[in-house]
Amino acid sequence: MFEASTIPKESFDRLQIAALVGLMFIGTAFVFSATMANDSAATLMWYQQSWVRQIVYYALGAGVAAALCVADYHTLARWSYIVYWAMILCLVAVLIPHIGSMRFGARRWIDLVVFQFQPSEFAKLAYILAGANFLSRPPEELKRAKVFWQSMGLMMLPFVLILKEPDLGSALVLLPTGLVMMLVAGTPRRYLLRLVGIVGLLAMLFVADVLFAPVQWQIPMESYQRNRLMVYFGRNYTDFAPSNATPAELQRLRQRQLDDAYNVRQALISVGSGGLFGKGWRQGTQNALGYLPRAVAHNDFIFSVIAEEEGFVGSVIVLTLYAVVLFTGLRIAGQTRDRLGKLVAVGAVTLLFSHVFINIGMNIRIMPVTGVPLPLLSYGGSSVLCSMIAVGLMQNIHIHRKGY
Amino acid sequence: MLVFDQLKKNDASLRMVAVVLAAGLGILLVGLWWVQVVSAREFQSHLDTQQFRTIRLPAVRGKILDREGRVLAENQPRYNLSLYLDDFRRPFYYAYTNLFSAARKVQKQNIAAAEKKLGRSLKRAELKEFRMPAEQLEQLWQSARCQVVGDTLAQLAQKLGQPVPFNAKNFNLHYARQRALPYPALKNLDVRQIARFEEKYSASVGADLELESVRSYPNGTTAGHLLGYVLRDDNSKEGEDARAFNYYMPDFLGQVGVEAGFDALMRGRPGEESVLVNSLGYRMSKTVDAEPEPGDNVVLTLDLDLQRVAEDSLRTHQGANARGAVVVMDVRNGDVLAMVSSPAFNPVYSENDPARMTDETLRPAINRATQENYAPGSIFKVVVGLAALEAGLNPEKPYTVEPNPEDPQHGCIYVGRLKKKDTAPPGIYNFKRAIERSSNSYFIQIGLPDGMIDRIVTLAQKFHFGEKASLPTRQETPGDLPTLERVHHSWRDGDTANLCIGQGELAVTPLQMAVAYSAIANGGTVYWPRLVSHIVPPDPASRQAVRSYPVASVRDRIGVSSRSLRILHNAMLGETEDVEGTGKAAVVGPEMRICGKTGTAQVQDSTNQLIGYNFWFSSFAPFEHPRYAVVVLVQSQGKGSGGLICAPIAHDIYEAILNKEKAGAGKVLVAN
Repeated sequence: MFEASTIPKESFDRLQIAALVGLMFIGTAFVFSATMANDSAATLMWYQQSWVRQIVYYALGAGVAAALCVADYHTLARWSYIVYWAMILCLVAVLIPHIGSMRFGARRWIDLVVFQFQPSEFAKLAYILAGANFLSRPPEELKRAKVFWQSMGLMMLPFVLILKEPDLGSALVLLPTGLVMMLVAGTPRRYLLRLVGIVGLLAMLFVADVLFAPVQWQIPMESYQRNRLMVYFGRNYTDFAPSNATPAELQRLRQRQLDDAYNVRQALISVGSGGLFGKGWRQGTQNALGYLPRAVAHNDFIFSVIAEEEGFVGSVIVLTLYAVVLFTGLRIAGQTRDRLGKLVAVGAVTLLFSHVFINIGMNIRIMPVTGVPLPLLSYGGSSVLCSMIAVGLMQNIHIHRKGY
Repeated sequence: MLVFDQLKKNDASLRMVAVVLAAGLGILLVGLWWVQVVSAREFQSHLDTQQFRTIRLPAVRGKILDREGRVLAENQPRYNLSLYLDDFRRPFYYAYTNLFSAARKVQKQNIAAAEKKLGRSLKRAELKEFRMPAEQLEQLWQSARCQVVGDTLAQLAQKLGQPVPFNAKNFNLHYARQRALPYPALKNLDVRQIARFEEKYSASVGADLELESVRSYPNGTTAGHLLGYVLRDDNSKEGEDARAFNYYMPDFLGQVGVEAGFDALMRGRPGEESVLVNSLGYRMSKTVDAEPEPGDNVVLTLDLDLQRVAEDSLRTHQGANARGAVVVMDVRNGDVLAMVSSPAFNPVYSENDPARMTDETLRPAINRATQENYAPGSIFKVVVGLAALEAGLNPEKPYTVEPNPEDPQHGCIYVGRLKKKDTAPPGIYNFKRAIERSSNSYFIQIGLPDGMIDRIVTLAQKFHFGEKASLPTRQETPGDLPTLERVHHSWRDGDTANLCIGQGELAVTPLQMAVAYSAIANGGTVYWPRLVSHIVPPDPASRQAVRSYPVASVRDRIGVSSRSLRILHNAMLGETEDVEGTGKAAVVGPEMRICGKTGTAQVQDSTNQLIGYNFWFSSFAPFEHPRYAVVVLVQSQGKGSGGLICAPIAHDIYEAILNKEKAGAGKVLVAN
């Protein structure tokens, strides 16, 4: 009867694409500035230089996203559970010592020789698809407690696995995404409120334990994670020293506190000293002189580099571009005909927003340091790919919104 | 807005999501505004603090010159071979990685051995034991750095053809505290080493010559006391902008002498340099924010030739360990032409023998011309004599000196029941003869009558004995003169007698004697002694003017009649030219007729035991129109007299003066 070819296809949402291109441009420029500052970088071959790689990632991501847009999102949704369980398997695999590679005290990557595969990023996307698929059943079904707990389980499984890596930031991002999807799907308020209440209580207990509890009662956590939280809340390491600590040990604790707070302090100085108009592209001194550590300047703290070099004006431009991407995503969600599309779009938007909020918040010290990349601007294949795929999904929904 | 219109239609939850999104972005915006706009300046200053280091650059110190512009103190450049540490970052890193992998290997071996022993692989908690602690890593870094620097210095040593010692402790200290500054590996290179370095090592890894300025005194110990000395003091000095620098380049502070008194003028104004530093503390670039302004040159009234002659003469006649002083003054204006103190003091402080410096007797650090009090002895008799003449003494009235029953060769006088001995023989004396033979009895008897002590003290006060002369050199003592009140209370004739012969509660400095004799010579004007003539700006081409200190500042007038002065002058002429005179050894010739007075004062300790003598010769010349006053003091334990010991030194000085005047074709040694 009706052939696939007669299904009217809308074109891409041009505004979102434009904003995307803007962000890609900024990303390339500032990865260049962040990584080409020292003389040794100039000796690398062009194909080893980070900004070139970033462009390759962009191209790859655009390709994958475009490929995803060919098929209707309903088709993709049929594969969602398979992809989801595959990702769960990968998350489990990454935790196994010889498969996952240990770097900086965390097992997050699987070394695939050509690039580092980070399952947690893809798991988030898989969760969006699977969760949207699950939640797109008729709203009456969602009123059932069993369905509610199943949807919770769908979210908690990757959450716990990612937390084990340990990757607190990525795990945290799942929570608002899941919550918003459940809200928009029509889960009854009382469930959600109870959930938020319990989670809130748990979070407060957790924070209280980290900050105030004596040593015997502390929840086992990586020391650096605990330290980051303590630094964020302004607690001194010396408050947790054993009572018989010598002055030398106390001094060492104080020094370590300063070191741990170093990144944030340098990021703040970078952002603040940018002023209104910034210092100019590649004129930032914090990065060039090494005060902002090279290891993080081009990914977690890329925003500091942008803020120092382009000032408040530059920050506002970046925020505006993100706002365009996010709000066009919401518009796409509003214009869809079915719940699946709306949920996928809302999930993608919340995912990207959470990343943006946590990362920029980290740079200006309104959020603790949690190692979440800035979508499309941070250097890193997995992050770029996943951000592009998220936007690709939104475009997919936009293109296929009238089709059935 | 387009999105919100579409959302308003029916979707409450989507609307809520949009609101939350907007709120979140709003929070970020406000946060960014707070940090980037409101607090921007604060963060910029944090950035400056961590990225910039300020360095204080002291200026070139002004020179000290004698009255004819000959250099007494100046600055010598000193070249140090320094390493620029930021050029060594990569070699440090490579050395460290080598050491680190070696340590790693050892660690792995230890773990393997432990595992073999246990028969299983170690658990995580057990592995922690083998972890390399931060201290060990820091140790590795230190070793790596020392290795690299040691090797570099060894290479340098080879190229320069001489050993370049490496002090690891010194280097580690420098690295910890002053990383942004170059590390001085070899100090004070001589010309040959500099040449070799420039030839073989220029433009190579991280080493270069740094220039330091060091105070030098080209005339050895000549005028050492007057010049004073400087000590290393890097801090900001008084009168500068009171701000803290991160680093201070070597600087000096004058401690004593002209170096101290005119330190503020000679040190100029320091400059400032700022260094951009990277996160590891290495210097990236340098800017000079303010050039240092060199200090002014100080021109003294001193004449280097006379100073040398005086010092040589004192040393030749009395030896290098002689305790004495010489002052040569221009009687017409109070300019100090020479000021000598023996034993000599080296203005390069470190070159003074520490054993000599702490010697209780020698005390070379004391400027004996201004800083110590001596009993004047017979040279004070001129004051007594003037007071008597003014009171109406007839200089021709004879006075008979009785012989001393115990020592009939010498005279004596009875003051009450006390017998005062005389070095002069018994006989008939008039004023002139009393001066020539320095008769104690004569002067005691003219000082004893009622009211004379008051006159003597009043006249002495006009000479300003017992008072300081406001010298800028921080080397002054006022001496001792009894006040009028003092002589009216429990003051005995015996005390008067002592005063008349220049002993008792009376102490002077040689400079005070020079001023006094100048006053006597020039007709009664007591001048402020002048050490510094004028201040010259460092760059002659600059517009700054030469600042002169006022010449011939009058301090007082003694107010005696010219008749009295003439009588005294004649008597003093007899001291050197008459057969009986004690000062004959000073005579130079008819072109420079000298009026003098010898003196020998007894020095007693606290129990009134005799421990030594002060030998004096005070004089002025030429007799017809006096121009110069010369005062010589020598302290000794042995026997002697002013005429034997001090007069020959004065002779040498007057001879030199005469020759200089002749050589200058009548140009008289005086500043206008």
